[in-house]
Amino acid sequence: MTTEHRQAAPPAKGGAVPRPTTDPSAASRSALQDPKEKRRAERRSRRYRWDIKYSPYAFISPFFLFFAAFGLFPLLYTGWAALHSSSMLTPNDMEWVGFDNFTRLWDDEFFWTALRNTFTIGIISTVPQLLMALGLAHLLNYKLRGSMFYRVAILTPYATSIAAATLVFAMLYGRDYGVINWGLDLIGIDRIDWQAGTWSSQFAVATIVIWRWTGYNTLIYLAAMQAVPNDLYESAALDGASRWKQFIHITLPALRPTILFTVVVSTIGATQLFGEPLLFAGDPSGGTQHQYQTLGLYMYEMGWINRHLGRAAAIAWSMFLLLIVIGLIYWVITRIIGRSTGEED
Amino acid sequence: MATVNTYPAPEQATTAGGPERGRKVRRNKAGAAGRQMHGGWLTYTILAVFAVGSILPLLFSVIAASHDNARLAEPTPPFWFGDRLFDNLELAWTDANLGTAMFNTLFVAGTITVSTVLFATLAGFAFAKLRFRAKNLLMLMVIGTMMVPPQLTVVPMFMAIAELEWTDQLQAVILPMMVSAFGVFFMRQYLVQALPTELIEAARVDGSNSLRVVWHVVFPAARPAMAVLGMLTFVLAWNEFFWPMIALTQQNPTVQVALTGLGQGYVPDQGVIMAGALLGTLPLLVAFVLFGKQIVGGIMHGALKG
Amino acid sequence: MRQEDDDVMRNTTRTTSRSRRRATRTVAVGLTAVLATAFLGACSSDDGDDGNGDEDGNITLRIGLFGQFGYEEAGLYDEYMEANPHITIQQDLTSENADYITQLRTRLAQNSGLADIQAVEVGNIAEMTGELSPRWVDFNEYDTDLSHFVPWKVDQATDAEGRVIGLGSDIGPTGICYRVDHFEAAGLPTDREEVSELFAGGWEDYLAVGEDFMANAPDDVAFLDSAGGLFNAVVSAYEERYTNEAGEVVYQESEGVQTAWDLSIQAAEAGITDQQRQFADEWESALANGAFATLPACPAWMLTTIQSHAGDAGAGLWDVARSPAPSNWGGSFIGVTEASEHKEEAVALAEWLTAPEQQAKVFSNAGNFPSSATAQQSDDVQNATNEYYPGVPTGQIFSAAAAEIPSSPIGPNDQIIQESITNGLVTVEQQGNDPESAWDDVVSNLDNALAE
Repeated sequence: MTTEHRQAAPPAKGGAVPRPTTDPSAASRSALQDPKEKRRAERRSRRYRWDIKYSPYAFISPFFLFFAAFGLFPLLYTGWAALHSSSMLTPNDMEWVGFDNFTRLWDDEFFWTALRNTFTIGIISTVPQLLMALGLAHLLNYKLRGSMFYRVAILTPYATSIAAATLVFAMLYGRDYGVINWGLDLIGIDRIDWQAGTWSSQFAVATIVIWRWTGYNTLIYLAAMQAVPNDLYESAALDGASRWKQFIHITLPALRPTILFTVVVSTIGATQLFGEPLLFAGDPSGGTQHQYQTLGLYMYEMGWINRHLGRAAAIAWSMFLLLIVIGLIYWVITRIIGRSTGEED
Repeated sequence: MATVNTYPAPEQATTAGGPERGRKVRRNKAGAAGRQMHGGWLTYTILAVFAVGSILPLLFSVIAASHDNARLAEPTPPFWFGDRLFDNLELAWTDANLGTAMFNTLFVAGTITVSTVLFATLAGFAFAKLRFRAKNLLMLMVIGTMMVPPQLTVVPMFMAIAELEWTDQLQAVILPMMVSAFGVFFMRQYLVQALPTELIEAARVDGSNSLRVVWHVVFPAARPAMAVLGMLTFVLAWNEFFWPMIALTQQNPTVQVALTGLGQGYVPDQGVIMAGALLGTLPLLVAFVLFGKQIVGGIMHGALKG
Repeated sequence: MRQEDDDVMRNTTRTTSRSRRRATRTVAVGLTAVLATAFLGACSSDDGDDGNGDEDGNITLRIGLFGQFGYEEAGLYDEYMEANPHITIQQDLTSENADYITQLRTRLAQNSGLADIQAVEVGNIAEMTGELSPRWVDFNEYDTDLSHFVPWKVDQATDAEGRVIGLGSDIGPTGICYRVDHFEAAGLPTDREEVSELFAGGWEDYLAVGEDFMANAPDDVAFLDSAGGLFNAVVSAYEERYTNEAGEVVYQESEGVQTAWDLSIQAAEAGITDQQRQFADEWESALANGAFATLPACPAWMLTTIQSHAGDAGAGLWDVARSPAPSNWGGSFIGVTEASEHKEEAVALAEWLTAPEQQAKVFSNAGNFPSSATAQQSDDVQNATNEYYPGVPTGQIFSAAAAEIPSSPIGPNDQIIQESITNGLVTVEQQGNDPESAWDDVVSNLDNALAE
């Protein structure tokens, strides 16, 4: 889905290419040179033509060989399995049921609960995460002493495995003996049963996601901010724009493609969210009332706990289709934004 | 491969915004970049809070790893190190056979990283700069697999592994992760921008065949992105759990698999488990502290060029 | 070298009434064969394969376990290897059954990567005697002596065709564990016999004692850990629970489930529970802190659990009373996989590990109660005590309980059903949900989970 973005927001016409060492406007001129390239190719030896013709396939073939065995095959098998009733214990024994596994999802309250949870956890993990990353990047963009320390520090959670991170957070969020409730107790606030409540448990799961990824997104934003030319800010400052106004009117518009990308890309991650809610209480049903069961977790429960491979496969494909829908929405948005930035240019 | 990208999101972000930013001359030295304004005390305070927030849970895991079950269970949580840290670390190390596991993981993650970066660069180059039939369709297929929920690919993948009789051998973990759809996409996005078509043409005029073009033109141009992709892949491969757990056993484990053998008995010792988790993360943490500057620089460099 | 694996797999794959789809398999083989030829050469030498004998007839037997079986702790492997110098035993241990069973299922489904001996928890044994039965060796074919096991244990590991696919390792006969100090503080008797008498009339008595207890006990101590724990204790003593003899799911009509549910709701609404989920981190902490006074279902292995959580501070504080209706909780089997290349030797090892003497040794070393009736009667077991529980005749208590365990049919979905019911109880306990709607939730959850 994301290729469309590149096509929708192509490099500005004739602009400078990022690297000083490279010839400007390369990408936009390449199209014009194709016929010339073809003519030249014809003059070359047969061997050369073969090289031109087949080397692309040679370059992509290692990927596609592995892709076929470990990517495409699982994808198709999963799709095939979704049309059958089949047990996880005997995945080779299948009984054809057509689209039953899909249509029954329509009446499946647990599927809708999981979909809703996926959505809400996705929102409360992605929005604060990206906003904080944006703010942090802005601060890190100031001249700072020890800025490298801060950058490395906020990136360390990224190195921590989901399992290790969730283990720690589950301890922190304990009802009777957790550090957070101990702290709440200390300042006179009632203890919260984090796992039991819908919002509290979703919040807790979201914080794990936020903790692990905020630093990473911060660095992405920071990189984008540092590419914004100084003179824009200087002239704005001359016009008397405050720092806040500069942020709103210069930084944010410049970062728009980056932000858009991180949003959509976090959406993919959020849609597939699995490890954190599973390990949070070690419970594949995502809480006693499924209060934080995500689609990924529901699929896991259906396949690995209830052992219904076909139904799990249908959920997996629904997630897949859901992402494609999101991809289309995203594509439309980039088209609109790409057009509007084009006008600005 | 799909299992590698358990959370493909942020990496993709590195490719973001390239077109917009690409117009401007890059400034990569933090001090010289952006505005000249100095941060005030508020800036430092907020940054310090977030730095502490990032490190605190890790620190807490070290503290937890230095106590036994009984202390960890007390109503007042421990806030300082107990006396069991080194005992627990040693127990975790020997119980989980972490020496072998680390070596295995290093080999697995190293191989996966090298092959992912190599194959992704080759394919990314082809998709970015070469012309061939069904290119767009093939690229769509690449992107499609990124969206497949990884948990369910386990059954068909295990069918393949079982058919090859590779269960419990390291290649069972390595081969499915040798390439990454995300990696191809990442390199393609990067090379579309960073590799001028003129350079390729110039090399061809000089009589270079495709292999020489790749070696002398593509690899040098792709180096920053290769470094970033390499780092992302290594971290991902190091922490990958679900598939290795199915494919391997404690006889020949990776670190994450070895850790599941920790705290044996009806009662897992939380301190030892924490210590094990810590040991498993330590190599990455050490790398982040030692090479933090390069890693941060790499991510930003890659993001800038993307 | 693994040729025979394939043959075994094809011969033993059960052909059901469902159509067998070979197409997908063919695709898999085709695709992977390409890879195999291309890359196998480069990658296959990563590690040695240890399942095979060398020229001298030395073989390695692999045994895959989870949690704690106590074989290594009791020195059984060393003993066996000394007596059989041509055999090397390799243990492969996963801490959590949840991780272990996920892997075992996948591997059994493909008949690949299995150890010679694999353990199965009682909660999973019905899956193994069902669809996966052909993957296991039938001990009848090896004339294994099954007479020394308690009969219901053998029944559980017997499939519909009479094949016995697992040998009992341990069982979990239950008593009621109680904190002597809390009972004293609440003005209740503390002597084991007297406490047992308090509960002797049945679980209603147990609840009545609980209300007494709560009236006089320290504020921060509950009578029992969880409503789910009580449910488990009550329901397990019934012959029919979730699945009937015919293998049908009957939890909705089952008298045992109904009684256990009502009693558990009663406990939850009386506020005498600590509102925990058993084996969650918080439950473990509560156990260590003495936040509850009794465990209504307390099998032999629970003593090890208590000891490791409560640590030195808890030594001597716990005692074990008789349960009004003893039952079995937990315990495991070990079976030999059809994929094993050394079935004969693996069967011999499995027989030896589960023989009465070895079971008795495991009990005294690791606290796993023997599933062998002969072992239960042995002096070693009968006279067993535990330093952590001074003066408690654990061997006698649990042997007596073991004699009363009913033989209940178990089904492959029992774990799912019990988990769902426990979740329902937690919502009543913690969120104060209405019991009726909680039960409806349980039913709709299970309707969804069990539907093919």
